[in-house]
Amino acid sequence: MSTALKDLIRNPTIAELELVARFAALKADARRERLFEAFAQTGLPGRRIEGWRWTDFKAAVTSLDALKAAPVRDPLAQAGVATLRFTPAGYTAPATLPAGLKLLAKDDVQAMGGAEEAPLGALAAALSGGKTPGTLLVDVSAGAPVHLHMVFEGPGAINSARIVFLLRPGAELHVSESHLGGAALSTALVEFTLNKGARLHRTVYQIGGAGEAQAVTAIIEQDAGAESVLTTLAFGAKVARLETRLVHRETGSKATINAAYLAGAGLQADITTHVRHGAPSCVTRQLTKGAVLDGGRGVFQGKFHVPRTSGQQTDASMQHNALLLEEGAEVFAKPELEILADDVQCAHGNTSGALDAAQLFYLRQRGIPLTQARAMLTEAFIAQALEGAGDLEDALRAEAQAWLNHAA
Amino acid sequence: MLKIENLTATVGEGEDAKTILNGLSLAVPTGEVHAIMGPNGAGKSTLSYVLTGREGYAVTGGSATLNGADILALEPEARAAAGLFLSFQYPVEIPGVPVMTFVRTAMNAQRKARGETEISAPDFIKKSREIAKVLSLDPEMLKRPVNVGFSGGEKKRLEIYQMMMLEPRFMVLDETDSGLDIDALRTVAEGVNALRAPDRGMLVITHYQRLLDYIKPDKVHVLAKGRIIKTGGPELAHRLEAEGYDGVLAEAV
Repeated sequence: MSTALKDLIRNPTIAELELVARFAALKADARRERLFEAFAQTGLPGRRIEGWRWTDFKAAVTSLDALKAAPVRDPLAQAGVATLRFTPAGYTAPATLPAGLKLLAKDDVQAMGGAEEAPLGALAAALSGGKTPGTLLVDVSAGAPVHLHMVFEGPGAINSARIVFLLRPGAELHVSESHLGGAALSTALVEFTLNKGARLHRTVYQIGGAGEAQAVTAIIEQDAGAESVLTTLAFGAKVARLETRLVHRETGSKATINAAYLAGAGLQADITTHVRHGAPSCVTRQLTKGAVLDGGRGVFQGKFHVPRTSGQQTDASMQHNALLLEEGAEVFAKPELEILADDVQCAHGNTSGALDAAQLFYLRQRGIPLTQARAMLTEAFIAQALEGAGDLEDALRAEAQAWLNHAA
Repeated sequence: MLKIENLTATVGEGEDAKTILNGLSLAVPTGEVHAIMGPNGAGKSTLSYVLTGREGYAVTGGSATLNGADILALEPEARAAAGLFLSFQYPVEIPGVPVMTFVRTAMNAQRKARGETEISAPDFIKKSREIAKVLSLDPEMLKRPVNVGFSGGEKKRLEIYQMMMLEPRFMVLDETDSGLDIDALRTVAEGVNALRAPDRGMLVITHYQRLLDYIKPDKVHVLAKGRIIKTGGPELAHRLEAEGYDGVLAEAV
């Protein structure tokens, strides 16, 4: 079997062969096999694959040797909030969980919709098992809002995890995720099903080293009247892909998808989203802000798909604004609206440029030194993208501020 | 206090470089207020930008000193810390940065550069309240982003607010009267006059004599084609208002 699968990846790299071996060592499971096949169609995706032109995992992941990374501070750690921890060595959960939350660690692997479209999500699902659950199910029932924190960190070679959330009708979940890297390849798949009227607040913090590859894939499906508020702050890695695939599948569902990326030298941060308006009268608000230094790379790919019949009365807007803070900074953006319905409100905007010279001079004339003036303007520029994080907004802003004061 | 000697400056780069200041000389002694008047395109705003160090302007000759120290060699923020303040003709909008945050950051940056201690939050708020009152500024306005959504008059009053907060040694007011109605003009002038002091100097750049009814200058200079062509007392401003610039310009040739 593993021989046949190995042959599915054309001209496999050493890293891909290691992934095949890793897969072959796990308990055989027909669903796992299907997921690995979905991954194997592309292998580690790279510039020859549509949607991965600027985020080349195939080229970046040269080896899967264990990293001896120093622990990275987790700015989203909150006292009193239940925390799930995923490392290459295994997974830990607290003995007591908040009311309204049930965990079910399943040995076998659950099927994943659209696995072919998210090869690194499929890989995370296919490699889950052994020391971690094959699938970790999290059931959230209606009642008081439930808070949960998840940490993904090294050290090690490969860190892969899959968590499947079910938000029962009327449930409210506040989940924060810290993707701290520390492994040669970290890949997480987080799925959310929002039943009728459920509310999801998801806040993601991502940071990684110049020798690490990270992929965080989220798949979100929303029923009638469900609402999600998603906020991401990404600092990138050698390659870092933060991908969100969201489907409004019943009327009156609403999503706010905000992200900020800050990429320094040798780092790349990719924010990719795909939103399908599969039911009438759904709302999507998307704002992505980025700032990049010399030798850094930012990628934004956003797509709204609004089908002819089911997508009527869609209200959607997509905005991406990037700052190139220095010569040699790179930003690639691909906003895409695929609108087949005729009765919709859809808007998008996309800009990239340098800091405004008139603003910089104004600050400096008042006595604010150039580096501080740059940091202030950049922080103000990205701040709006972090506003939805609620209680965690200050923590994210503090991280952004520290980066800007250090970088500018 | 401020001494400008034979200053020449260009705007633009390479072959597009255009000489705007053409041998400008001027001295404002400590404690005095001087006005600069001149027709459009005379180089009034260029003078304010060259003095404060805006990018895009190149000094090609001459000197400018503040209390004997060469200011042209300094970065804009160092000129500010040395006490030079420009009230902008067109104040800039800074989305996402509240006025109070901005001014406190500026004040503490200047203090740090001068080796002074930072102002405490209560002292800062107290001072801000007092000055806002003098200028009839709504305190809520000071919590909003700098100049965003402000009317022309509010922007000018906010410039004077900043000036009163930062207490500079030398002030350049670039067309502070433009966009102001008569009541706002009076309020702004009151603020400016409150800053007149024996150890301060001021350069008031204006197109019209009107502002000088409220901020009385010790001297009036006429700027044309990049140099001072005539200097006189306050009566010179009245003459310009009555006769227009043509007569004075013709005399000077």
